This record gives sequence, structure tokens and C-alpha cells, in this order.
Amino acid sequence: MYMGMKLIDLVETHAEQISRQWAKNVRKNPFTPYYHNVPEEKLVPQGVRFYEKFRSLFMEPKPVEASEGYFARYAEESYREGVPLHEALYALILMRRQIWLYAEFQVLFFTAVEQNLAVESITRTILMFDYAVYFISRKYRERMKLEWFESPNT
Amino acid sequence: MSGSLKLIALIEKHADPIARSWAKDVRKNPRTASYHEKPEEILIPLALHFYDNFRKMFYAEKPAEVSREFFAQYAEEQYAAKIPLHEAIYALILMRRHIWLYAEFQVIFITAVEQKQAVDSLVRTILMFDYAITFISQRYQERIRGELDENLGILNMIRLESPLGTRLAPYRTAIMTTLLVGSFLLTYYYHAVAGSNVIFTHLFYIPIVLGGIWWKRKGIVIAAVLGVFLVLSHLVFLQGVPLSDDVVRAFMFLVIGAVVAFLSEGITRAEEIYRLRTA
Repeated sequence: MYMGMKLIDLVETHAEQISRQWAKNVRKNPFTPYYHNVPEEKLVPQGVRFYEKFRSLFMEPKPVEASEGYFARYAEESYREGVPLHEALYALILMRRQIWLYAEFQVLFFTAVEQNLAVESITRTILMFDYAVYFISRKYRERMKLEWFESPNT
Repeated sequence: MSGSLKLIALIEKHADPIARSWAKDVRKNPRTASYHEKPEEILIPLALHFYDNFRKMFYAEKPAEVSREFFAQYAEEQYAAKIPLHEAIYALILMRRHIWLYAEFQVIFITAVEQKQAVDSLVRTILMFDYAITFISQRYQERIRGELDENLGILNMIRLESPLGTRLAPYRTAIMTTLLVGSFLLTYYYHAVAGSNVIFTHLFYIPIVLGGIWWKRKGIVIAAVLGVFLVLSHLVFLQGVPLSDDVVRAFMFLVIGAVVAFLSEGITRAEEIYRLRTA
């Protein structure tokens, strides 16, 4: 868990910078055209909120339950704003990538032992995002069905 | 790259047992309920097809382009099989996990150098899946949109938004003016000439409904204008007849106009969510 702590510390300490890089990326990435016209001032707090929540999601003994509420809310907000599902998902994927791309992440896992821990750390992050993708796409479907007056469980 | 080669070799050598263990998992996993009734004989080839294409996508210089075609096809098949998007994606995620869960995967990255290769290998696999998730959800939305367009065909024609109706769209105001003038003349004829209060007002619902569909909330004005005109005409020409019937009718115009307007707004909003905003 030590390496996980290092990763979390990095994310928390540099939440603002990582968010800014993410906002820049998402505003010009060809997979996220919806965000191209969203001002950075609106995007950065969204990134910061996610990176600040990262610790509790990462450390949670029951990551499924912990992440469901957070990502369902993310889906609700994105849906209300009219973000297409695949762009909402890709924006979240970019949030994760932005952590890995952040310069200091390269330095975190230097020694051989740390390389082993890096695998664990990546695996745990991926697990969290697997659930995120599932919850977000499920919530979008529920919302779409409600719009069409259908039961969300069908 | 040798770490990746090991991973690919593992997948290709053990594609069948990995696909089988995936099929077992997906048939009982609570997040993939739609697969529970699918026989293993149908599921296993699905996973095998993915594992067979893994090398091509993994080594592609432009993984986005190569994987787009494969995952779009996967999405098409799952959509046709009526699998909800979140389950189709989760089933794919399980395909990836089953590679990692496979016993031999744990053994191929033992040494320090290999651990470094493991990280590279993981990151490259994740990149492929990032594209997979995007392409699959994008294709699902395209399919939903296509289905919507089909289902909303008649409504779109009434909204003058279908290819056929688009040519008539600039004439909305003229059409509505004609309908309103027709309604006024009809009211005048029945109230002033025939001195009757028969239920000719049912015809008023045509401009009221069209107003709600075309202009949404603003369209309620049409219902209000017709309601006010009906009551005023009654007061002027039918003084001996109780007013209550026409007041109820005028009120119903507003109710129907409002219901149609809000429904039309809801449909338009829901449609916008499905519409792709590709650059």
C-alpha cells in the first residue's frame, strides 16, 4: 500500500496542476469535442474535485460501493449538461492518464521493488476506473430511459 | 517489447482456457446479467475472436485506427443481441481481467527487468481498452440515434424536420396563420351565422398541437389566442347560451397546448443527448 500512498500524495499535492493539464488536454483532444468550448475555469474545479476524491476512492476497502455514488453523480452532471456518453467517459479516462503523464509520476517508481509496487498501483487504479465506466454508462442509460418514460430497470 | 511478446504469446497459447474462464465468469457476474442465459458455446467464440485480434491491436502503430474497426463491430454485435451498453463494456473489461487473472500471467513477470516490462505491458493494454470503451459507447449511441430517428420518423415529419418536411419548415408561420384564420372563420360562421355551439372546436386542436410541437412553450400562445377568441365570440354572438361549455373548451385548449409543448420539449432534449457532437 506504500506505493499507493505515494501515488495519492502526488495526486493530492499537485491536484491543481494536474487538473490544469487535464483541462488543456480535454479542450483540444479530438475525442472530446464537447469540451472544446467549455472554459478552463469551469473544467479545472471538476478535475480538482476528482483528484481530491482520489484518496478515498483508492483506499476504500470496498471500492465498488465507494465509487458508485461518486461516479453516478459525475454521470448525472455530465448528462444534464448534455455531454455525450463516450466523451464523458473519455474525459474521465484522460483524468487518469493525466496522473500517469504528470512528470513526477515517472520518478515515483524508480527502484526494482517500486516497479513491482507500480504494477499494483496501476492495477488498483484500473480497477477503480473499470467500476467508473460501468457506473457511468449504467447511469446514462437509466437517465435516457427516464427521458423516454421507460422503467430504468428494463 | 519482450514483455509484451510474452503477454501476447501467453494469450495466443492459452486463448481457449482464458475464453472459457471468461465465459463462466460473465455468465454469473452480477454486472453482466444479460449474459447469464447465453450458452457458453456462443460466448466462448466471442472471447476467442477478441484474443485472436489482441496481437494486431496491441502492436498497431496507430492503435486508435486499428481498434476502432474491431470494437465498433463488437458494439454492433452486442447491440443487436440487446446487451445494454454498460454490460457490453463490463464483459470486455472482464476479458482483459481474465488475461491478468490467468495463472501463468503472474509467472511471466518475475525479475526486476520483467516487472518494468509488466508496467509497459499493462499501460499498453490499458491504452487499447481506453479506445475500446470510447468506440463501443460511441457506436451504441449511433445505433440508438438511428433507432430513434426511425421511431421518431412520423413525429419529425410533423415537426417539419424530416428530409421531406424540411422544405416546408420556412412556411410554418404561413401554415399556422392559415389554420388560425380558418378557425376564426369557422367560429364566426357557427356563432354568428348558424347561431350554434356545436363541437366544431375539435378542429382547433390541429393548430394547438402543431403550435406545441413546432414552437414548444411559445406555442401555448396559439391555444390562448384560440381560447380567448372562442369566449369573446360567444359573448358577442351567443348571448342567450350559457358560457360554461366554451370556457371549459378554452381551458382544455390551454391544457392540451401545454402538455404537447412540454412533451415536445422533453423529446427534443432527450434527442439532443443522443445526437453525436463529433468534431
